[in-house]
Amino acid sequence: MTADQSARPRAGSQRRQGTRPGAGAQPARAAQPARAVVAAALLAAGTLTWAALPMSGASVGARPALIVAVGCAVLSVAQLADHILANRPLSGPRGAAAYVPPVARLWQRILRALRITPWPEGMIIAALAVEALHRSRPWHTAVLGVVLFTWLLATHLAESAARPTVFRPHLPLIAAGLGLLALSVGAAALPSSGLGGIAIWLAALAAIAAVIVAALTLPV
Amino acid sequence: MVTADPPRQVAVRWRLSGHAGRLVTTALAGLFLAVITRRAEFAGLAAPALLLLAPWQRDRLAAVELSLADGAGPVTEGEQAVLAARITGHRDYSVQARLRPAAWISAGAATLEDDGWIRLPFRVERWGARQVGVLEVVLRDRWRLTEGRLTVSLPRVTCHPLPARLDSLVVLSKLPARLGEHPARTAGEGTEFAGVREFVPGDRQRRINWPATTRRGTLQLNTYAAERAQVVVVLADVSSDVGQAGASSADLAVRGAAGTATAYLGARDRVGLVSYGQRIRWVAPGTGRRQAHRITGLLLTDAGDGVRTDAVTSLPRAALPPSALIMVFSPLLSLSLIETLRELRERGHAVLVIDVLCAEPDPGKGRGRDMADLARRLWRMEQQAIRFSLRELGIPVVHWDGQSSLDEPLAPYSRRVMVTRR
Repeated sequence: MTADQSARPRAGSQRRQGTRPGAGAQPARAAQPARAVVAAALLAAGTLTWAALPMSGASVGARPALIVAVGCAVLSVAQLADHILANRPLSGPRGAAAYVPPVARLWQRILRALRITPWPEGMIIAALAVEALHRSRPWHTAVLGVVLFTWLLATHLAESAARPTVFRPHLPLIAAGLGLLALSVGAAALPSSGLGGIAIWLAALAAIAAVIVAALTLPV
Repeated sequence: MVTADPPRQVAVRWRLSGHAGRLVTTALAGLFLAVITRRAEFAGLAAPALLLLAPWQRDRLAAVELSLADGAGPVTEGEQAVLAARITGHRDYSVQARLRPAAWISAGAATLEDDGWIRLPFRVERWGARQVGVLEVVLRDRWRLTEGRLTVSLPRVTCHPLPARLDSLVVLSKLPARLGEHPARTAGEGTEFAGVREFVPGDRQRRINWPATTRRGTLQLNTYAAERAQVVVVLADVSSDVGQAGASSADLAVRGAAGTATAYLGARDRVGLVSYGQRIRWVAPGTGRRQAHRITGLLLTDAGDGVRTDAVTSLPRAALPPSALIMVFSPLLSLSLIETLRELRERGHAVLVIDVLCAEPDPGKGRGRDMADLARRLWRMEQQAIRFSLRELGIPVVHWDGQSSLDEPLAPYSRRVMVTRR
């Protein structure tokens, strides 16, 4: 299992001599990631449901995109659960098999591929595509953004077995981001007849921002 | 208080965290859709992710200092042990550590103690010198955008076999003239009452049995049994290892040998060990705690020294004293060992075999099943014949499954002294 040095121990919580190490703290730590996985799964379901509604008003490609999004969501939750299971206290091998049948080897390769594929990223793209395939509805997209962002945070908490307090330094940035989201929704809700030039500028700014983000993520 | 090795620098490998990857995807997808669809709300959707990516740090730690506490020491099978590790020089990066166990190691939950040390509890499930595993450490920055990983191989631990329980000892009828704790047949200065005889001048007056004197009319004296020590040589046959790993014949032989040696050393007997593997290695009989360490060391290590396996009977007299009780833990699969046992018995040694064979050949599945069943029956009959022939020679053979105490199979021989006829 894991021990996080960022989590400070409570004052005076000294372990008694002779007791089994870690015996007391284990159940509480094991339950926390499981709750985080459940929360992430519920938020993923909420994100997709909200992005899909109403399905009748969506374009042709919305249904396949939704199917892809649901598949990615299921696999990302499974990936999280697998990550949690891999972090539990475990036992080493009791001896390796001398011969692994080809079917078992193939299955192991498939499992390995499923483990390393970035399913959450696929879900994000597919969910936004579903939203984009609906007609313009700024407030609906804003709510989707909030739910999606909450899901991002919950997923990170689940995979790192961290406490929500790790996001305390992020709060000003999160608040600013949500403010910008509200502003953009307000801008989108304005009548577009007199905003032709501004819309072009906004599009140009968005393109520049995309380039900056891509540059930031390039490996140094 | 932890005794630690000096800290050493361990390089950290950095990469984009999964959280950062998802933020980047959200930002790029939102901005891309904003440009394509000309809908400003998608740019706003990308804003929180963009802002969280803004404090990206490019200066990262190249290495951290890691201290490992050398506190594990020798452990026993199934016993919980703890390794301690401390990571320093990680600035404001959070540290997450876990133990990835090696073979036959069970890892517990790592805990952070008040003194800053990470305790890594583990349990060794099988005897021998074992690698504990690998310590995996993940460093995360304050903004959770990058992850640094480092892995460190943990030191090896020596795991002693879990000694089989043995409370009732098998004692020979003839014991060598060494002071000990087993009552012998001869009269002596022990504490166990042996009988009454007529007083002769020179006897201690305090031992006069007054009721018997009153009945018989002449002075009668209590006599007591002499107390002698026994010489026991434990022969552990590890030449074949059959059965499920962890409960194989070699495992049972080693655990039985360790338990027997512990029990007899506890009774202040002289105990020796003969390890019958690829080569024969031995420890001459001795007493005390140091002898227990010698025996355990011989069971755990294989330095490749020793003599050929057909040379048991030519072992020096010090290793195989003629008056010794030889307790053999063996699956009786080695024909050369069986011949050796016969030879030892013919030379007058008191031999007791504890059969540790708990597995049978697997007949498998498929078309050859009938023939395999037949072969297995023949194999069983051959094994029974081997045990019968040993009993006919006067070598008792008892079976031990490794689960129960050794007292159960040895009960017929531990209730009374074991008489060995030459």
